[in-house]
Amino acid sequence: MNILYGFLSKDTGRIIIKGEEVELHSPQDAIIRGVGMVHQHFKLIPPLTVTENVILGLEPVLRRARAEKLTGAKQLSSLLPIDFKGAADRIQKIAEENGMQIDPKTKIQDLSVGLQQRVEIIKTLYRNADILILDEPTSVLTPQEVDDLFLTLERFKESGRTIILITHKLREPMALADRISVLRDGELVGTVNKEDTSPEALAKMMVGRPVVFRVEKSPATPGDVVLSVDNLTVRNKRGVMAVKGINLEVRAGEIFGIAGVEGNGQTELIESIAGLIKPVGGRILLNGRDITGVNPREVREAGISHIPEDRHKRGLVLGFTIVENSTLGRHYKSPFATGPANQLIDLSQADHLADRLVDTYSIKVGDIHNLASTLSGGNQQKVIVARELAANPKLILAAQPTRGLDVGATEYIHNVLVSMRDAGAAILLVSAELDEVLSMSDRIGVIFDGQIIAVKHPSDTTAQELGLLMAGHNAGYSAEEAVA
Amino acid sequence: MTEESPEEEYVNKKGGFNLRVIYDRIIGKLSDPSFHKTAIWSTGSIILALVVAAVVMVMTGYNVGLAFLTLLWGAITQFDRVLFFGTPLIFTGLSVALAFKCGLFNIGPEGQLYMGAMAAAIVGYMFSLPIVIHQLTALLFGAFAGFLYGLLPGILKAYRGTHEVVTTMMMSYSALLFTAWLVAYPLKDTTQTLDRTPEILATAELPKLLGPFLNLSLIIAILAVIGVDYLINRTVLGYEMRAVGQNPTAAETAGVNPKKNIALALGIAGALAGLGGSGEILGYHHLFQDNWSTGLGWDGITVAVLGNNNPWGVLAGAIFFGALRAGGIQMQRIAGVPLEMVRVIQGLIVLFVAAPRAIDWLSKRGVDYAIWLKRDRVPALVHLCTSGIAGASAIICLTVFGSFSTMMEAGVVGSGGSVTLLLFLTSLISIYALIELLMRKPRGLILLVFAAIEWLLISAMGYVARSMVIVGQSLVFGVVMLLMVVLVVKVFPETPVDSGGDN
Repeated sequence: MNILYGFLSKDTGRIIIKGEEVELHSPQDAIIRGVGMVHQHFKLIPPLTVTENVILGLEPVLRRARAEKLTGAKQLSSLLPIDFKGAADRIQKIAEENGMQIDPKTKIQDLSVGLQQRVEIIKTLYRNADILILDEPTSVLTPQEVDDLFLTLERFKESGRTIILITHKLREPMALADRISVLRDGELVGTVNKEDTSPEALAKMMVGRPVVFRVEKSPATPGDVVLSVDNLTVRNKRGVMAVKGINLEVRAGEIFGIAGVEGNGQTELIESIAGLIKPVGGRILLNGRDITGVNPREVREAGISHIPEDRHKRGLVLGFTIVENSTLGRHYKSPFATGPANQLIDLSQADHLADRLVDTYSIKVGDIHNLASTLSGGNQQKVIVARELAANPKLILAAQPTRGLDVGATEYIHNVLVSMRDAGAAILLVSAELDEVLSMSDRIGVIFDGQIIAVKHPSDTTAQELGLLMAGHNAGYSAEEAVA
Repeated sequence: MTEESPEEEYVNKKGGFNLRVIYDRIIGKLSDPSFHKTAIWSTGSIILALVVAAVVMVMTGYNVGLAFLTLLWGAITQFDRVLFFGTPLIFTGLSVALAFKCGLFNIGPEGQLYMGAMAAAIVGYMFSLPIVIHQLTALLFGAFAGFLYGLLPGILKAYRGTHEVVTTMMMSYSALLFTAWLVAYPLKDTTQTLDRTPEILATAELPKLLGPFLNLSLIIAILAVIGVDYLINRTVLGYEMRAVGQNPTAAETAGVNPKKNIALALGIAGALAGLGGSGEILGYHHLFQDNWSTGLGWDGITVAVLGNNNPWGVLAGAIFFGALRAGGIQMQRIAGVPLEMVRVIQGLIVLFVAAPRAIDWLSKRGVDYAIWLKRDRVPALVHLCTSGIAGASAIICLTVFGSFSTMMEAGVVGSGGSVTLLLFLTSLISIYALIELLMRKPRGLILLVFAAIEWLLISAMGYVARSMVIVGQSLVFGVVMLLMVVLVVKVFPETPVDSGGDN
């Protein structure tokens, strides 16, 4: 898709847009031909306003034409004032035409993620795009926001625009698309019409074998309380209170799922348990031992493994080899460290471990001495999961463990987590994907605005009810009631 | 020079057992494309720098052939000096390289070197200790002084977020001024007019290895290379430092303390620079004189850049710089080219290493031309000749311009002002035309026409000045250029621009 949008150049082959073969050297080339892209990670500048972001790269200069006639040089026009008012009016008009509400004068950083995505869409419309590429557009939205987005996209379709939707969730193409192409390992597996296929058939095309959607697991047999969080309050990086008095308990042999829209305190909750943020108040107990505010290494020593939500930022050192990554966190302990005071690294032990992990978790690698950055996202995540579970933890903090992974890898990681549960580990699962929380958890806590506003059993609830709770409706529960 | 580095790396690492494994690893490393890239960049930068330096020498009227010959000869015949000049650069280069592995840019090896040297000098002349112990103590104190002077910005960076580039550079100047004050007042040898400490005791001097220059600090430097390589690749501390350098948040998540590692990395970097300074004092200078190093620390940054922050690369880079220095002295003596030319070359190398796009661009153009030549030989050849003549014109213009301006300064030529100006203009246009032609843009041909007209103008001026050499040469250039342009336009009008790609 980056090739189609001109970010990358193609090696061979042809791109034909509207019957004309084109060479795309830069996004500019693609934009001119009416291609617009909404990236999974938004390309917006937070401190700037909606208008400023939308016109970026295409600034409407006041009386540009006259200026060019006078000076004869295009470059000089960049010194002239920008027609903000005209741009804002046009943005407003585009938004209204497509049933979107947006104030062009607000800053991006003050908008919710769903609204930011609208800005991205408006950005493409402002450039008169009639081919719209959406890369994983729903990964950051609540179920309700997803419905809104789909309504907007339906409208585009009716107005004659082309939409290319890239997603790994099966529900979406089935709900929205007319034709569905399945890619696997850089190859086109096939293209089918929506009417002729089913989610099961698509999953089979994606993975190459039949996929079971429901996670197969036996009922949980919870043991003793492993983790207990007591009235925890945490501030986020900007100093705003993000976790406002959370109480929860996770037992051995149990998966406790936390459902919620991103940015409601999940990150801070997990990171404070992992020792990365010092909580403001409250206590965290692991097997009855107070581990509040200790450093990450001691947390790990106490038996907690952490699968971070952002695998590139927190999970892996991309410039390290797979071997080096597989010992990260245990590298200073025997058998990986030897010599006086455990200060030397035993390379062969690390190689052993990496070999073993690659084998047991069937991680696709060329060579264990390759850099982690050469792996695909799914295999990178498998490296992290393998590493974290190899430490034999009592508690696993699994934050978005399957984000951005294909169906096969997701299924694999789910099964691994369930088998860890059955082996007696306590698992705290945080996911933005409601389906994942529903199918994996033995109990589900809904987090909203830094509080657990409800705890449900998956059998007693529905996605609709959880979706409403996630959006803050029915926030009448108090924190005390939330503890099951 | 950097190509040899990984070989040495593994030979030294594995110490000699299991030859087969070593052999495989060397081959693996040598066939690694990223290593190839680094090697090509480094050697390419050196070659480009030498070419540009040659043009500068030609412009300023020196004998390029003789200069390079003496440079090379000087470096080969005085290998002890090469190593001597390279020794402190190994330390300072390692200092920069080690900090870089932890994601830090240590700009301050100069200051750390001064503090280390000062500490070593003080221990050297103030205390009376038995031999061996005295040297070791002095070296240790030197390293420790450097350690502290590196640790301070490290702590500031780790716990207060102060950017290390600012603090280390600033502290470099502080160290220079502080030591200058020390030798001017409290520690001044009052029997001397110059600002310097008394000489260190003979027990503190490092033994000479070979000749009057080379001393034991070279051995210490090579041990330091091995030590740093080992530290980075084989110890827990080095592993953590690299993890922090690559991705501090992931390291933190995995229970590594990034702050401790940052502070320690700058501290060890400082210790290396300090050790280098002590080695210089104890091994050669034998006293601390105000402003003695003349930029060994700054050169260390260059050496680290050239060696791609690999300890063995640093060793190679430092020896190369030592060779430039030693050969440069010879060059100055015999060819009369000032030693500053060596500085020019050093600067140019950094420029080209830091701007790999220039080399990328050239190699891309080269490949491009090769493909074209293979596809349709004749037009490509003609086009290549056109570029060639533009290049030749640029070089000749610069040469003549250089000698003309020196002649004018010397008063040999009275009124060559307009000719000189014209020559300079022509050279600029020729260079521009060359670039455009290499990119296969039609504008290059238009520029070439301009250059030809200027050559014809020069030839007319030469006729006025009754200099038949100028007339002949410029006439030939002008006519040939015009012919080439006509040939390209008339005979091969479809100059393919499509496969040129962007630069």
